[in-house]
Amino acid sequence: MSKEVKTGTMHPLSLLANQAYEAFIEMGFEIATGPELESEWYNFDVLNVPKDHPARDMQDTFWIKLSAPTENFGVFALGDEKTGDPRHLEFSSEQGVRQVLRTHTTSVTARAIEQAGEEGILSCAFISIGKVFRNEATDITHEMQFFQIDGAMVGENISIADLKGVLTHFYKKMLGDEVEIEFRPSFFPFTEPSIEVFAKFKGKWLEMMGAGMLHPNVLHNVGLDPKKVQGFAFGGGLDRIAMIKWGIPDVRLFYQGDLRLNQF
Amino acid sequence: MKVSYNWLKWYVPEVPSVDKLVDIFNYHLCEVESLQKLGTSEVDEDFIFDLKILPNRAHDLLSHQGVARELASLLNIKFVDPTPKYKIPKSHPTKLVKKIKTPKCRRYMGRIVRNVKIAPSPEWVIKHLESIGQRSINNIVDATNIVTFDCGQPAHVFDLSKVKDLKLQVRNANNDEKMTMLGGGEKTLNESMMIIADDYGNGLDIAGIKGGKYAELNNDTTDIILECANFDPISVRKTAQALNIVTDAKKRFENDLSPELASYGMLELSALIYEMCPEAIFEDIVDVYPKKQEIKKLSFSVNKISKILGLEVSIDGIEDILKRYNFQYEENKGIFKITVPAMRLDLVIEEDIAEEIGRILGYDKVKPIIPKINFKPKVNETYAKISWARNKLLIDGYNEVMTYVFCDKGEVGVMQNASDKKFLRTNLSDGLKESIKLNQVNMPLLGLDQIKVFEIGTVFTKDNEEMHVAYGDKKEVKEMTLDKFTDLVKNFSVFALGDIGQGTHGSLNSSSNPLHFKMWSLFPFIARDIAVWVPEKVSSSEVEKIIKNNTNELIIKGPELFDEFKKDGKISYAFRLVFQSYNKTLTDLEVNEIMNKITDKIKENNGWQVR
Repeated sequence: MSKEVKTGTMHPLSLLANQAYEAFIEMGFEIATGPELESEWYNFDVLNVPKDHPARDMQDTFWIKLSAPTENFGVFALGDEKTGDPRHLEFSSEQGVRQVLRTHTTSVTARAIEQAGEEGILSCAFISIGKVFRNEATDITHEMQFFQIDGAMVGENISIADLKGVLTHFYKKMLGDEVEIEFRPSFFPFTEPSIEVFAKFKGKWLEMMGAGMLHPNVLHNVGLDPKKVQGFAFGGGLDRIAMIKWGIPDVRLFYQGDLRLNQF
Repeated sequence: MKVSYNWLKWYVPEVPSVDKLVDIFNYHLCEVESLQKLGTSEVDEDFIFDLKILPNRAHDLLSHQGVARELASLLNIKFVDPTPKYKIPKSHPTKLVKKIKTPKCRRYMGRIVRNVKIAPSPEWVIKHLESIGQRSINNIVDATNIVTFDCGQPAHVFDLSKVKDLKLQVRNANNDEKMTMLGGGEKTLNESMMIIADDYGNGLDIAGIKGGKYAELNNDTTDIILECANFDPISVRKTAQALNIVTDAKKRFENDLSPELASYGMLELSALIYEMCPEAIFEDIVDVYPKKQEIKKLSFSVNKISKILGLEVSIDGIEDILKRYNFQYEENKGIFKITVPAMRLDLVIEEDIAEEIGRILGYDKVKPIIPKINFKPKVNETYAKISWARNKLLIDGYNEVMTYVFCDKGEVGVMQNASDKKFLRTNLSDGLKESIKLNQVNMPLLGLDQIKVFEIGTVFTKDNEEMHVAYGDKKEVKEMTLDKFTDLVKNFSVFALGDIGQGTHGSLNSSSNPLHFKMWSLFPFIARDIAVWVPEKVSSSEVEKIIKNNTNELIIKGPELFDEFKKDGKISYAFRLVFQSYNKTLTDLEVNEIMNKITDKIKENNGWQVR
């Protein structure tokens, strides 16, 4: 009845992203952001994804139609000219930069670690939540666009025990104090060892995200010395956490622009 | 990969019970995607595990022997090696000739076997194959399939009478070369694809993927050529993808097999054929193996392994594991040097060993710790701006939405899209207008008298991507860059990071945040208003109560008071009610019935009147 303006409602994913950021900030993480249109280098090469890996196929990844190389692509901080770093070679190739819609925000994390290394800020820890894209048929659990939460911590002695501590804290904040987490073996090109993270929520073990220790090739690719530093990385869908936390039945509901979604 | 419990038991008779095995797989090796029980009685009972073998172990675990060996080492139980049983009579000199004309064929083994008799397979073969969803065809074809699923080496057999002069070659196909496949269907090949052919231009097989019709066995076949080979994984994957063929052989080759496995496959295949055809005459194996697989060494330190895992691992502990896994090793002051078994192509660096130790011990042994490091996080300006913009719009009464990035026109296109939307949005406004239209219809459901929405998101123009803010209502939508929107605020460091988003949540429906999402009905709703004159002293809640008591579960919103005014000692309250069913489209008639009931009940009160 009052005539004062009623406060608007937030999209559930924004709400959850804020809560997730808070959980990580408490542990010293820094927020990282980066481009959604990403170079092949940061989306795949840096992360030790082999050149012929199926993830690079058009069936899975949105490749951008090439336009002529332009000056504006220089916004991407690529390799060093003097050392002949391959990043530079790829950038300057005559076909222009091969670009993709990022398939994960691990690209953002990689950029952030690279920059921290350049600035000599180690140990470092980054958390990045953003929109990612996969070329797949949509259904109740699959969308072409969704949000990923991705993070990494690098230092001299960062281990899987730290990873477990950090993620336990995070999932308790997200899903409640009674939540337990556990690690099972997995495989990703950018981590070794690789781990699948499960959380026990309402009595059921649910697959939540992929994680592991950053592969030495990845550390090397972002300009760090794997003999001196090591670190963990993790990444998974934010939409999935939201669906589990609130019982949202269909991932596609997030992107309909329907305000009936804003219930929280 | 489907793994039969009974089949495993041949090699690891002490294997734990099915339930225990599920956990062992999940926690120490790979995910069990499903478990299926076969048979009805104890005699024919079997359990089939569908294992999601991890890509780095697909070299050695896409087979029953592989999984059995892994379990034997992991659990420290006996492995019954079948190799001593694989015997054939003395073989005879051969005239078979093989040439490898492409480096993508890393090994090619062939053997002529004469005097076989095509017949049904023995019972155990049929059982093994059917348990994992394969169909028995005949004894010889089944033998090749058993070898594939037992030791992981794909094998193939040709009818010898089709191979002129006993000459075979592995070569690239010619452009537009055609091959009719086993089971029908013609494929057109190109020069990037590898085939097996005779010297006269007859293609027999697409290397590592599928056999051709030309040299297919028939009931009169008596002489055959056995093939166990090794092909470049990338070439196999690309060819199979281009031709759209998926086979069990392709699945193994594309994961990179050790060429050393071919000789084991040939041994097992020969022995199986001898078991099925005791009259068979075996010729010598022709083995073209230009570059033998190197023996790799790998060294690692106990300290580094402990440091990676965050778990103190002892020298003894590691030695125990290496022994169980039959690794040859030397150890000196905590530094191990191991000889990597040929099949373990996944073990290359120290970190690979950390993974082995971690998963074998189980990651539950690793205890969580929160790192006590004094990090120095900076404020992320982009995020601070987004937060500020969002809070500002929320306070101004705008509701947040997210719409699709893909649309049917734009400046940046994607090469391929599973949907028909092949462009990236150049603005947020178009999506926002759609959103407004959709929500405008649902206004009574939302309990809003005006639809105000906003989105913060990326748009894509020819050479650039940019974060935009768009907000508006049905009359007007405004859009600008995030930077422009936040120009008002110069210093974002004033936002203490802990303050992000505080005091801005709140739902449309209630003051407290619900714990569970409530899905809406997909059927249309009907909104009705009712205005009631009552004596001035009657409160709106009294009227509301009567309305509530006389509705049923079809009312999904309201009664909501939206208007009141006084006149001549009386007061008018107007309520809105929204009706909707989760199972059907409501009719006016049904809603009228409810409204009539409410009206009647109101009229029962003295001095109350429905306007």
